[in-house]
Amino acid sequence: MKIIEIKNVSKIYNESEVQVNAVNGVTLDFQEAEFAAIVGPSGSGKTTLLNLIGGLDNPTSGEIIIDGTNLAKLKSSELIDFRMRNIGFVFQAYNLIPVLTAKENVEFIMNLQSWSKKERDERTFELLKAVGLFERANSRPAKMSGGQQQRIAVARALASRPKFVLADEPTANLDSKSASTLLEIMEKLNHEEKITFIFSTHDARVVKMAHRVITLEDGKVVSDDVRE
Amino acid sequence: MKNYKIAWRNLWRNKRRTIITVASVFFAVFFALLMRSLQLGSYDHMFRNVIESYTGYLQVQNEDFKDNPTVDNVFAFSPEISETILKDKNVSDAVPRFESFALASSGSLTKGVLVMGIDPEKESLLSNVKERLVKYKLTEKTIENLKKSELPETVKSKLDLFKGESYSSGGILQLDLGIRNADSSALMPIIRKEASFSNGYISSGNKEVLIGYRLAKYLELNIGDTLVLIGQGYHGTTAAGKFRISGIVRMPTSDIDNKIVYLPVDVCQELYGAPGMLTSLALCIKDNSDKKINRMMQSIGKEMPSPLRMIEWREMNALLINQMESDNKSGGIMIAILYLVIAFGIFGTVLMMTIERKREFGVLVAIGMQKSKLAAIVSLEMIYIGLLGILSGIAVAFPAIIIGQYNPIRLAGEYAKVYESYGMEPVMPFMPVDYYFLWQSVIVALIVGIAIIYPVRKIYKMQLVNSLKA
Repeated sequence: MKIIEIKNVSKIYNESEVQVNAVNGVTLDFQEAEFAAIVGPSGSGKTTLLNLIGGLDNPTSGEIIIDGTNLAKLKSSELIDFRMRNIGFVFQAYNLIPVLTAKENVEFIMNLQSWSKKERDERTFELLKAVGLFERANSRPAKMSGGQQQRIAVARALASRPKFVLADEPTANLDSKSASTLLEIMEKLNHEEKITFIFSTHDARVVKMAHRVITLEDGKVVSDDVRE
Repeated sequence: MKNYKIAWRNLWRNKRRTIITVASVFFAVFFALLMRSLQLGSYDHMFRNVIESYTGYLQVQNEDFKDNPTVDNVFAFSPEISETILKDKNVSDAVPRFESFALASSGSLTKGVLVMGIDPEKESLLSNVKERLVKYKLTEKTIENLKKSELPETVKSKLDLFKGESYSSGGILQLDLGIRNADSSALMPIIRKEASFSNGYISSGNKEVLIGYRLAKYLELNIGDTLVLIGQGYHGTTAAGKFRISGIVRMPTSDIDNKIVYLPVDVCQELYGAPGMLTSLALCIKDNSDKKINRMMQSIGKEMPSPLRMIEWREMNALLINQMESDNKSGGIMIAILYLVIAFGIFGTVLMMTIERKREFGVLVAIGMQKSKLAAIVSLEMIYIGLLGILSGIAVAFPAIIIGQYNPIRLAGEYAKVYESYGMEPVMPFMPVDYYFLWQSVIVALIVGIAIIYPVRKIYKMQLVNSLKA
């Protein structure tokens, strides 16, 4: 089932008087439960494309339709609400809320969605167990390693059972052991929860595990390989 | 979770940031309250000095005297007037005065003077003329003797600078000679003994006068000398008389010191050919609150026979009030500058907090928090910080002001001399807790309220991609 449709999307930045085509006429579809990697050299438009899919940025032209909803047609507050209900984010720099504990970070979106305490606790502990950090539930991000913080970020992204998770270079700041652990967790959750994962990455291990690899160059899709 | 709970939790999850911001508000409130209390306290003290040592809070005068203070605008004093006044339970006594002008002469020297007829005994109930008698004088001989004494060289070296000076208070003498409070008990008795000046007072029926120190100096007069007064008496008569100088007073303002002549009121009435007449009757009152004074103005005023009327301290001291109001305006500018500094302090802290949390705000909105909710939480955080700062500022300022009220700041050095020279105690009292307390807090609360606009605006204008990169 098709959950993301990207139709001839471009993003042009005006830096001084020079126009930069960060994303240039990209057309792509993503299916349910995909585990896809977007690769390409630095400046090829990977992060910009993820930002556009996640509604964090607006395309200069083209359309992004998620589960039948055209993001361009949503008002600012509707777009925020749409992100909360449908999209999970994993950032390269983890971006956990520093004043919240691991548990509070994970249950944050559930709180925004007014889940009951029982539901929140069940889901939070389920995810903390899944990412192997149940014992660190009450630790603040500053007290955790980079790998642990990124695992909490994954748990947060999955907390409200989004339609898909966008992960921008999730292993870039991690050592190889932490990166492997994180990838295994994400693959397991993709398999178990049937949630689509889309990564932008340079990491060969991510590429190796991905079921689909999309290569960007100068903002254009140059290859789109699906593996069985 | 409700916004107010999230905001409260956020505050205490970053204690250091919260404490810094609360501290900026705390110091703002604390200093604003202290400064205003000192300013208002000083005005109050100054008014009390003038009112309680000269005009009193209420006087009875001829209705034309204020605008035309000549000897023709006097009134006949009768026991009925006193009875009417003393019927009011808030009046403890009434002090008679006869005030006019004359030409004073001694030898070939003459000068226009202010003649003040007073009841020598009753006057002490209101003003402190007796206290202003010169008590110490640094004559050539006194200085010579003091130089031979055990005084330290630093004090001896200053003696010549004040040769010929006279003092009605040991305090100014001590300040002039640069003697510290710690040394005063050892040194001042030596100086007092040598510099002590024998002075007399005036008594009813005796043709004796007290004159200002500067006036005495100008007319080259001393105790025991004769002063001649010539002027216009009641209804065009000539007022002329010779008077023995029984004492020299040192008045706080040089203007008064240059022209004041005190004499017994009965002698003064005789001089001006107006026996039984007064220019004013100053009331000694127990409760000087505005409410009581207004009531007395009405009740006693109604019973006063024409052409008498009641006049209150504000009308009598209109010039002083104007001066205070203009000083209050400059004080207001100082307070405004303080508020500006406070506002920048608070705004600087808020600015720092907003920049520090830019990425956090970006993440929160990216993962689904509405900007309105985020703005509400940040506003609540600021409101809590404001309340904590204001309440703690009040909590600390309150006892400090109460302590200051009972233990006013005692000035020393040059500042003290300025106060002393104006006849005021060199103290800076604090104003008791009043409405100004509320106003200062409201103003700081408004500053905090305005400071909230910045993070809220930043949240609504936030570009998510930029914030996430911050």
